Amino acid sequence: MTFRRAVTLVIRREFGERVRQRAFQISTVVIILIVSAIAAAAGLLGGDNKTYTVGVQGSEAVAIAESARTSATAADITLKIKQLTGAAQARAAARADDVDAAIVGDELLSQGTPPGELAQVLQAATRQVRAAELLRRQGLAPAEIRRALAPPALQARALGGEEDEKRKGVAFVASLLLYLQLIIFGLAVASGVVEEKSSRVIEVLMSAVPARALLAGKIIGIGVLGLLQLTLTVVVGLAVASATGAIDVRGADVGTLGVVLLWFVLGYLFYAAIYAISGVIVSRQEDLQSSSTPVTMILVAGYLVALPVLEDPSSPLATITSLVPFTSPIVMPVRVAVGEAGAGEIAASLGILVASIALLIPLGARIYEGAVLRMGKPMKLREALRTARATR
Amino acid sequence: MLELRDLSRRYGQTVALDGLSLDVPEGEVVGFVGPNGAGKTTAMRIALGVLEPDVGDVRWRGEPITREAQRQFGYMPEERGLYPKMRVDRQLRYFAALHGRADADEAAARWIERLGLAEHAVQRIEELSLGNQQRVQLAAALVHDPPMLILDEPFSGLDPIGTDVMSEVLAERARAGAAVIFSSHQLELVERICDRVAIVNRGRLVASGRVDELRAERSQPRLRVEFDGPGGANGWAEGLAGVRIVGRDDEGLLLELGDGADDQQVLDAARRAGRVRSFAPARPTLSELFREVIAR
Repeated sequence: MTFRRAVTLVIRREFGERVRQRAFQISTVVIILIVSAIAAAAGLLGGDNKTYTVGVQGSEAVAIAESARTSATAADITLKIKQLTGAAQARAAARADDVDAAIVGDELLSQGTPPGELAQVLQAATRQVRAAELLRRQGLAPAEIRRALAPPALQARALGGEEDEKRKGVAFVASLLLYLQLIIFGLAVASGVVEEKSSRVIEVLMSAVPARALLAGKIIGIGVLGLLQLTLTVVVGLAVASATGAIDVRGADVGTLGVVLLWFVLGYLFYAAIYAISGVIVSRQEDLQSSSTPVTMILVAGYLVALPVLEDPSSPLATITSLVPFTSPIVMPVRVAVGEAGAGEIAASLGILVASIALLIPLGARIYEGAVLRMGKPMKLREALRTARATR
Repeated sequence: MLELRDLSRRYGQTVALDGLSLDVPEGEVVGFVGPNGAGKTTAMRIALGVLEPDVGDVRWRGEPITREAQRQFGYMPEERGLYPKMRVDRQLRYFAALHGRADADEAAARWIERLGLAEHAVQRIEELSLGNQQRVQLAAALVHDPPMLILDEPFSGLDPIGTDVMSEVLAERARAGAAVIFSSHQLELVERICDRVAIVNRGRLVASGRVDELRAERSQPRLRVEFDGPGGANGWAEGLAGVRIVGRDDEGLLLELGDGADDQQVLDAARRAGRVRSFAPARPTLSELFREVIAR
């Protein structure tokens, strides 16, 4: 059997067994829910463009609604106008929530309190329409009325800009996701290695295929699973975010998605090798806690660094941590998402990360080969390195 | 035939194997016995290619062994080696495929049937009783029809029925032409089902061959003399030429006949001493041979 065939079989088992596990299915749903909730909350709390339907009855009401529609854009809402015939129908439509509000004569009808922003826009429009009517009766020409009622409005100019806020939001979710996925799937590699050691199935496996094929298959199989979960989460998250108006999905966001996935793959390979080492130096799940905690702490630190970087993406802290391979898989995507990383920096970060992986994977494989059959008390890292040198 | 030649292996300061040589012919069952720490597991792992020897080599069918040949071997480790959370059928198919079987599904189904695991096929290993887990373990070692079976303590923890199934399957594989070696501390069992026995101590082979050959090799024959009544208690056997008393109990004596000893003289002496009920050569059990060889 070829090495590749062996790796394929191992990948199929790792992926197949895990994707069937209740734990994986639940964690996928939970992560998707969390991200969707963040996306939905961002959309709703952000008060971004919402659409209201206004029922109108009578010509004055139509005029009010039309006027409101023009001014609605400034209030960041969209109005739809629905013609209703008769006060009774208007009342019924409002009660049934067919319309968010109905204008009937002097009344604004709604099921419950009307949304504040909608009421405000409609009230302003009513004042304007009625004032215009009054002025017309006084004999003013339409142009004079317009001038009287629509003085030049204040020009709003936001400093920092909403776009930045949105990008920051995307970057925040990206860093959170990367951090969670790297820990979850890195730990899955570590505990998978320990599971095979502690159940001694490793001996049977190694009588059939080389240790390297087992390690490669495990890392790839779990990685594919992680990539699948992350892609699902990101796609659902983006869909929810754009549905609630939290972000407008455009090229830039899809680009961010690509960046997140790329850094996940690289960060995963980097951390999977380290986590595999933390797994192979112990023989029991109970000992894994202490050997894997330092690795997890580094990831936690990476995430904690990403938060200030979010606020100040061009600080020295940001520049340095987006180059160091331990933190770059979380920090760099944040900077890319907020648009604060130059092409050169991105290339340098990628180059360093890829080079580290190229060094780490063979080292991890040798430590794995040397330590995978050792049972008993946890090995010291130095001891593990010595066995790595001893094998070939 | 599997040949282990002058294998040595240390773990740090500990010497696990110290020039061990051993043959396992195809079509035979070899019992691999020795005290704990004698190097049995290390030797088996080297035979499987899971471990490299520091010195020495392994040959298979007259040629230096290849990884390809080793991957065809079936192995049952001492502490059970199965995925606790994986279904029985998937597990067996996986092992069959890893050993290069194209017909992994059929092979798994066949062994599930053969070892009476049909009703447990879709259960996870951790849901099974220990006895059934052990059957799955055996199936995992056999699922790819290995020409060489290496089993580390396959009988430990088995109930009598499990023991019968295991012995039957091992004998059947040997009849089908496979070379079979297993380690065990249950020496009566080894004596009963093995064609040959290899005894190791401190990393070296100290005796090997058929059990009767091992008995014959023992230089000093022994006699068991039993009496009706207390005749055995007095000192009738002391002073007989070449005779040494090696055991004494309420029923009689166990004597070792050295140079110049004459069993007829011993019988006469015994009859003078009391009423002899039984006078027979003592066939040493494997356990006794084992203790003697290890004590040497």
